[in-house]
Amino acid sequence: MMTAKKQNNKQTTSQINKPMQKQPGRSRKDVWYKLDLSAIVYPTLQRRDFSSVYRLSVVLKEDIDPAVLQQALDKTLTRFPTYKVTIRKGLFWRYLEPNNRPGPYVREDIKNPCMPMHFKGNNRYLIRVYYYGPRIALEAHHCLGDGTGGMCLLQTLTAVYLGLLGHPITPSGFVLPLNEAPDPGELEDAYMRYATAKVKPPRPAERTYRVRGTKEPFYTLNIIDGVLSVRQVMAVAKRYGATITEYLNAVLLYALLQKQNEEFHIKLRPVRIAMPVNLRRFFPSNTLRNFITMVYPSIDPRLGEYSFEEIVTQVHNYMRYYINDKFLCGDITTNAATQHNLLIRVVPLFIKDLVVKTFYTRVQDKNSSAGLTNMGALKVPEDMKPYIERFDIYMGQPFSSRTNCAIISFEDILTINFASSIIEADVERHFFRKLVQDGIHVKIESNRTQDLL
Amino acid sequence: MSYCVNCGVELEASLKACPLCHTPVINPKQIGQPVPPSPYPVNKGQVEVVKRKDLGILLSVVLIATSGTCLLLNLLAFNNSLWSLLVIGICICLFVFTFPAVYYSKTPVYISLLADGVAVAVYLYMIGFLTPSHRWFWQLGLPIVALITAMMEIFTFLARKFPFTVLSGALCLFIEIPVFCVALELFIRHMLLKPMYITWSAVVLTVCTIIDFALFTILVKKRLRNEVRRRLHF
Repeated sequence: MMTAKKQNNKQTTSQINKPMQKQPGRSRKDVWYKLDLSAIVYPTLQRRDFSSVYRLSVVLKEDIDPAVLQQALDKTLTRFPTYKVTIRKGLFWRYLEPNNRPGPYVREDIKNPCMPMHFKGNNRYLIRVYYYGPRIALEAHHCLGDGTGGMCLLQTLTAVYLGLLGHPITPSGFVLPLNEAPDPGELEDAYMRYATAKVKPPRPAERTYRVRGTKEPFYTLNIIDGVLSVRQVMAVAKRYGATITEYLNAVLLYALLQKQNEEFHIKLRPVRIAMPVNLRRFFPSNTLRNFITMVYPSIDPRLGEYSFEEIVTQVHNYMRYYINDKFLCGDITTNAATQHNLLIRVVPLFIKDLVVKTFYTRVQDKNSSAGLTNMGALKVPEDMKPYIERFDIYMGQPFSSRTNCAIISFEDILTINFASSIIEADVERHFFRKLVQDGIHVKIESNRTQDLL
Repeated sequence: MSYCVNCGVELEASLKACPLCHTPVINPKQIGQPVPPSPYPVNKGQVEVVKRKDLGILLSVVLIATSGTCLLLNLLAFNNSLWSLLVIGICICLFVFTFPAVYYSKTPVYISLLADGVAVAVYLYMIGFLTPSHRWFWQLGLPIVALITAMMEIFTFLARKFPFTVLSGALCLFIEIPVFCVALELFIRHMLLKPMYITWSAVVLTVCTIIDFALFTILVKKRLRNEVRRRLHF
């Protein structure tokens, strides 16, 4: 055990030195960062009409001053070197390079968030910051980092913004101190440190139910937000003997099963949700880059008709069985195997792109019916709480026609954000109706209704 | 505060209909009252167009320099024939081909294709100055370029207007190939002042017609289509 720990520490040090930090005597041109294990896939999927962009937003209690926000952004980004970057192509892999071009500039929010992010547009920045009324929204390409990294950037930005308005915030939790240099651990690819299992469990690869729908025109992202009370949802989840995540997962599976039953089908298919798990909960790391893996709670209606209680039990048992450090370590090891393989590493990038894209389109994308992420109960520094109303999170545009669901809570407000690029809102309807049936008060907000009447 | 009568959810004050089931909101207490603004922006964003200014400048300079130096060489040094026209023609063609990708990405695809056809025709015309007469150009070169351009325009139109699959693309291609072959043979015969009937192109026409019927049947019959998809999947 001690040896393994020592090895891990040794690996960390060597890896941190590898993504060339700025060191005395080193010119800025020497600094670059390898893409982390998850980040390798996202740029490969880039299309004219699709980018892996997610959005985090915070609603304050007063309207945003764009000039101050711009000032805050300029100050904050220097503390996040892996977010002030541009993506470049090498012969074998892509990599991140510091971006010293002017920007990124804050802009007024738009109706169609998470629109594609071209690598050469926006002065080559891979983040966008918007404001609208009292809302600050951060959009980031997934190759920079996951929701936790993005949340650190958003909360630090908000804290700096509030500080500039005369409300100083003490850095803690997601708010990082600006006067300190970035910790090497924040920039590391934590996957490689923990891919230590001696076996590589196979990934699930079965075709699942696909949500059918009419595609919206290019650049349209339909949003439906549900605002709920954390206490109410927790009480209902407790009634079913589950946690909030398990309960909401079960509701989404239930909604997808209902949708499948309603539609014309020759044969039923399993319904499966792709749910990212924050690995920082199980493997100590303060990285701001991607450190997530996917789990796939599912229900197979071919085995028989499931009642809602049975779905909750199934999800509850699945989560307990799979979400632990051993299974997750196995999963990371499976994913890391591709990057360890010398044969794969020496293949030129364009061939890797072709293979990864084909695999993703034909297997990985068909492996789940919907996406669901739960950022959990967000904590902010005590002196920042009075200025914050709520947080929102959007998983971004789905790769194929389906709906993505993201959940986040702050104090007693739990927001469930659905994002989809199809016209029909059947899954969302079944989902929220089930919550109402269970006695939960749901308030709906949406960007799509402006065109309805 | 309004609720959807179907879904039971509370609706945000600016909503005129339930986003889940599209049921209109009719709240007798709120008739005539101003609707509060939506918490979402109204303006749509546009993805920034990536400018390939540097590449455009580099490409233009290289093409102009190549054409200019070759023309000078032709006029001053190796002036036994008009060989520089070949290089200048190629440069013009490259400029026209790369125009939509490098200089103006909003060029409509039909205009781009037409411009490509015109560029090739001009190039062939320039080659004509190196040959004894332009007869081959008027009777063979120009009709072939015009035919290929028209076919590409039709193919693009069909691919954009109708759902495009490998099978439908193949069907379109196998209709166009025999048309091209028949026309080509007729153009050649016309130029050589031979009687106007078809020989080798008839074989291509027959084979392609058989393939077309097969493809059409596969496209129409869903069972066959699935069978082909199953057998040929990769």
